[in-house]
Amino acid sequence: MILPETALSSRPAVLGINFGQSYASIAVIGKEGHASCIANEDGERQIACAISYNGEEVYIGNGAKPQLVKNGNNTIIGFRNLLGHTYDEVDHTAVFGAPLIPSSKTPAYTVDVLVMPPAPSAPSTRAGSTAPPAPSAPSTRAGSTAPSGAATPAPREPEATKKTISVPEVTTLFLSTLFQSASDFLGVSPSGTVISCPAWFSAEQREALKTAAAKAGIPVLQILEETAAVLVGYRVGLTKERQELALLGQPEEGHKGEREDRDKTVVVVDLGETSLNVAVCKTGEGEYVKLAQGRELNLGGKSFDDLLCQHFAKEFTKKTKVALTIPCTESSSQADKRAEAKLRLAVEHTKRSLSASSGAATCAVESLKDGMDLSGSINRMRFDGLAASVYRKVADKAKAVIAEAGLDICQIDEVLLAGASTLFPGLAAHLSLVFPPTTPVTSALDPSEVIAIGCALQALHLSQLPAELKVEDVLRLAESPVDTTAAPIGIVVPGQSNDDLLNAVVVPSGLALPVRRRVEIPVAQGTEKVAFEVWEGKDEVKVDVLDKAEKTADDEDDEYSDEEDEPEEVRTPITKKTTLLAGLELALTDKSAKSVLFEVMVQKGGKVDLRLWQSGKESEAAVASI
Amino acid sequence: MASVVTLPFQLTAPPAEWSKPSATGKISGKSLPIFSTFFQMTLTCSLCCVTAPVKRTLYAAGPSYISAARRQLLNRTFEQDDEATHEHRQAQAEKAQAEKGEELYPGLGEEVEDPALLKMDAKEWKKQDHYAVLGLGDFRYTATEDQIRVAHRRKVLRHHPDKKASGSTGTNDDSFFKCIQKAFETLLNPETRRQFDSVDRAIEDFVPNAKTVKPEEYCDVYGPIFAREARFSKKQPVPSFGAMDATKQEVEAFYDFWYNFDSWRSFEALDKEVNEGSDSRDEKRYMEKKNKAERARLKKEDNTRLREMVDMVLASDPRIKRFRAEEKAARDAKKGAAAGGKGKPLTLAQKKAEEAKKAEEAKKAAEEAKAKEAEEKVSREAAKKARDAAKKNLKKWKKASCSFFRGPSAVTNVVSESNYFQPEGQTPSASTVEKQLTELDTLFELLEVDESREMKDVVEKAGKGDVARDAIKAKASIAAGRGGQFEEFV
Repeated sequence: MILPETALSSRPAVLGINFGQSYASIAVIGKEGHASCIANEDGERQIACAISYNGEEVYIGNGAKPQLVKNGNNTIIGFRNLLGHTYDEVDHTAVFGAPLIPSSKTPAYTVDVLVMPPAPSAPSTRAGSTAPPAPSAPSTRAGSTAPSGAATPAPREPEATKKTISVPEVTTLFLSTLFQSASDFLGVSPSGTVISCPAWFSAEQREALKTAAAKAGIPVLQILEETAAVLVGYRVGLTKERQELALLGQPEEGHKGEREDRDKTVVVVDLGETSLNVAVCKTGEGEYVKLAQGRELNLGGKSFDDLLCQHFAKEFTKKTKVALTIPCTESSSQADKRAEAKLRLAVEHTKRSLSASSGAATCAVESLKDGMDLSGSINRMRFDGLAASVYRKVADKAKAVIAEAGLDICQIDEVLLAGASTLFPGLAAHLSLVFPPTTPVTSALDPSEVIAIGCALQALHLSQLPAELKVEDVLRLAESPVDTTAAPIGIVVPGQSNDDLLNAVVVPSGLALPVRRRVEIPVAQGTEKVAFEVWEGKDEVKVDVLDKAEKTADDEDDEYSDEEDEPEEVRTPITKKTTLLAGLELALTDKSAKSVLFEVMVQKGGKVDLRLWQSGKESEAAVASI
Repeated sequence: MASVVTLPFQLTAPPAEWSKPSATGKISGKSLPIFSTFFQMTLTCSLCCVTAPVKRTLYAAGPSYISAARRQLLNRTFEQDDEATHEHRQAQAEKAQAEKGEELYPGLGEEVEDPALLKMDAKEWKKQDHYAVLGLGDFRYTATEDQIRVAHRRKVLRHHPDKKASGSTGTNDDSFFKCIQKAFETLLNPETRRQFDSVDRAIEDFVPNAKTVKPEEYCDVYGPIFAREARFSKKQPVPSFGAMDATKQEVEAFYDFWYNFDSWRSFEALDKEVNEGSDSRDEKRYMEKKNKAERARLKKEDNTRLREMVDMVLASDPRIKRFRAEEKAARDAKKGAAAGGKGKPLTLAQKKAEEAKKAEEAKKAAEEAKAKEAEEKVSREAAKKARDAAKKNLKKWKKASCSFFRGPSAVTNVVSESNYFQPEGQTPSASTVEKQLTELDTLFELLEVDESREMKDVVEKAGKGDVARDAIKAKASIAAGRGGQFEEFV
C-alpha cells in the first residue's frame, strides 16, 4: 500500500545500528513512531559480525559463522575492536578465523579467493604465461567480475588468488550490508544513522568507525556510546513517556515499578559476547551524566560458551573415551580445533534455549571428534551452577564501578540490562539479590535489541532538530566535560525535620548545569504562613544493624540460625544537611490554596535562584539568587 | 516544560520558636511594592554559597540533552525556552491538524440504526437498501468510494460478530454484519453499484404536471427534478436547468442536451431469478431471454418517460414563451419603426399602448402556440393510433397465419408460377416483379385475417392465370379503401 504523503513525512527514515564486536542489530522507527529492531533478509535480528570468503562466494552475517569450522582461515571475525588501531597495538593471535597479517599500518587479513582473470585483453591468459593478478587490496568484488558487453570470451576458469582486506574495509563491507537490509525494509534509504560504539573507544577509533561507515554510503549522524543508547532506549528520566510505554522494571518492593523518578542514579550492565561494560550514570530529567564506568575483558557470552563447551567436552570424553581438551590453544591439534569450532556453534543454540525456556536444553554434534557423536543436555539449574562464577564476576564488577563513583549500592535506583548475554534469568536473579529489593533490575526491553533501539531513537531526535540548530553544534557541547552540581540542595521544614537530615532533596548532585527543578508542596488546610529553610546537603548511607536479639525473638525455635549470627545490616540512603543557604517565608493570601510551588535553578557558574509562590499565582513570586 | 514533583509531606505553619535564619547575605528579593504590602514575602540568604560545580562527562544523547543544547546554543533562559517550545508545539499541532483536516467524514456511519434495519435478513440482500445499511442514506448515488469505505469500516467496527459475542447482548447474530458486507460489496463494484443506482427506490421519481406549475415557480420545481435525472447521464457535467432569466442560448443548450440524453440506466437489478434448485439449462436460458427482453422494455420505457417529461416541460416553459414574445416584439418594433417615422420619440401614452399591445400579442402568441401544440398533439396521437392499429393488425395476422397456413408464400408462389401475370413467353421485368411482391405484402398487411385466408384459398384453387389475378385484384380494391396503393393489381 502506498502511504500518503503526510504519513511519510511524519515518520522519518532513520536507522540505529548496534555494532558489536560479535553481533550487530539494526532498528528503525516504525509507523507509530516507536523504534523497533528489525530482522535482515535472512530473518536474523542478531546479525553475526563475520565475513567469510569461500571461493567465489562471500558470506556476510550469520551465514559466515558455520564457515569457521572448515574455512576458518578465510573467515573474518572480531574485527570491530581493531578499528583505529595499528597492527602493533592489537593482539594478533587468532585461534579461529583469519589471521591478521603484519601490514604497514592498519591491521588487515589475507584470504584465499577465486577471482576471474581480469580482462580478456591478454589472449594467453589460459596459457598461464602471464602473472596472476596482483592481490593489491581490491576493495570491491565488483571489480573482479567480467565486464559484460564484450565479445564472448572463451570460458575461463576462476583462478585462486590471495586477497588482502584491511579492517576498515571489512567494516565498510559489513556495515553496508546492514544499511542495505534497513533500506530494503524501509523502502527508502535512511536519511540519518546513529551507530553505537563501546564506551572505551578512543577518539581515533570513533573517527575510524565514522569514516568506514561513511565509505559504505551511510549518512552518520553520531557515533553513540552504548551506555547512552541504552539510556535513550529506555527513556530514562522521561517520566511520562517511560510509564506510558511500560518500560519500567519490576522490583520486589517499593514504588519504582509504577513510577519513574525524575532524577535517578542508574547502573547500566552491558554484557556482550566478549566483554562486560558497567556504567554508573546520573539521569536528571533525561540528561545523562557519566559518574563512572568500567570494562571487563573476556567476560561475556563467550564465557558461558566456554563453560558449556567444557561441560559437554567432559561429558563427551566420559561417554566415548575420546580425549578432548577445550579450550584450545594455538598448539592444539587440528582435530581439537575443529571439534571446538563445531561445539561452539552447537552450544550457541543450547545457550539460547537455556535463556528462552526453563526446560532442559540439548546439545548435539555429529562426529565431534574421531567420528564420535555428542548428544547431551543441560538444565537451567545445572547451568546456573556452572555459571555462578561468571554471575559473581559481573556483580563484583558492578560493585566496583559503583564504588568508583563514590556511591553505595543502596543509592542505586535502577539497574538496566543490555547485551544478549544478560538474557539469562540466572544473571538477573543474581543481580537483584546483590542490589536492594527496591531497586529494579530492568530488562523490559529485549536486552539484545535495546542498544539498536536507543540508536534509532537518537537518530530520530537528531533528525527532528529545529531548523536553526546543526547536529555538529549540538553534539560538540558534550565533547568536553560540563559543570555538574556537586552537592544536593534540599529543604528543611522547621518542626518536621529529625536529626540533621533534609526533608526532601530538590536538586540532587551530579546534574548537568544549568538545571531547574520545581516541586509542589502540599499545604495543610487553614495554614496562613509557611516557612522552610533551603540547605545544601551531603549524600550518605545510614547503616542500621538489626539486633540479633530481635531476630531470635522472632524465631525462637530456629536451630539453624548459626549462619545468621552475624548482625544483618540495613543500609538506607540519606541526605544530611551541611550548609544553610536560605530561609523562606510565604504568607498565604488565598486560603483555598492547597499547595505552594518552589523552584530552584542552578546556573552554570553555580549561581542559585530560588522562587516560591502559591499555586496559580506565579506572577506574585519573588526571585532571589545566591 | 518544567515537570513538577509533589513532595510527600505537608507544610504547616512554622513552630513559634522558629525564626528565619539570620540574614546577613546579599538579598535581592524582587517583590513588587504593591504586593509587598500584602504578602510578607521574605527571602534571606546566608553568607555561604553553594559548593563549586564539578566537571563531569555528559552523554550527548536523548531529547533532554538536545533541549539543553538548544537553550545553550540559542542563548535562551528556561522561561524563554519554555515559551519557544510551547509556541513550536502549538504551531506543529496546528499544522498537523491542518494537514490532517478534521476527522475524515465525521459522524459518517456512526448513527444509530433503525431497529427494523438491524433485524433485516441477510438472505434478502437483494431487497435491502445498501445505502441505508451503510448509513449513507443521505448521500446515495453521490457517495464517493472513500465515504463508502469509511462508513463500512465504522459499521464493521460496531457490528462485527466478535464484538457482539463479547458485548452486553452476548448474541451471536451476525445477520446485520452480513448485510453490511453485502452492501459494501455491491457498492464498491462500479458495475453492481450502477445496477443498484438505476433502480434506487429511495429516490422519488415524481414529476409534477407542467401545466399546473406556476410560471414563477417553474425553475424551482423542475431544476431539482432535472438535477435528479441528470445522475443517469453518461456525459457529465449536465447543464443545469437554469434560472428564470437564463439566456435563450442556455435554455436551448439545455433542451438540446436532454433530447440527446445518453443514459446509463439499466434494469438488471429487476431480473427475475431462475427457481432455486433448478439447474435445467433450458429453463435458465429461457429466463435469461425473458429477463433480457424485460430489461430492453424497461429501458425503452424509461427513455420514453424521459422524453415525454422533457416534452412536457419544454411545452410550458415560461422562458420559451418569453423568448418568442421578445422575438415577436422585436419584429413588431422593426415593423412599427418602418411604418412610423424613424427616431420619432413616442409619447408616454403611445409607449404604454404599445407595451399593452405587446403584452397582448405575447399572450396571444403563447395561446396560439399552446393551441398549436395541442393540435399537433392530437394529430400526432391520431397518427400514432393508426400506426398502432396497423402494427396490431400485422401482429394478429402474422399470428393467425402462422397458426393456420403457410403465410403469404402460397399466394406469392401462385403469382410467380403465373409468370407474374405477364403474356406467355415474356419475361417479367425486375421492376414489375418487385412491385407485385411489395403490393402483395401491403395487401396482406391491410387485409383482415379472414379476408386473406379467403383470398389465399381462391388463389390456390385457381392455380394460375387470370382467376387468381382477379381474386387478388378484388381484395386489393378492398385494401385500397383502407389506405393501400396498388398499381399492378387494379
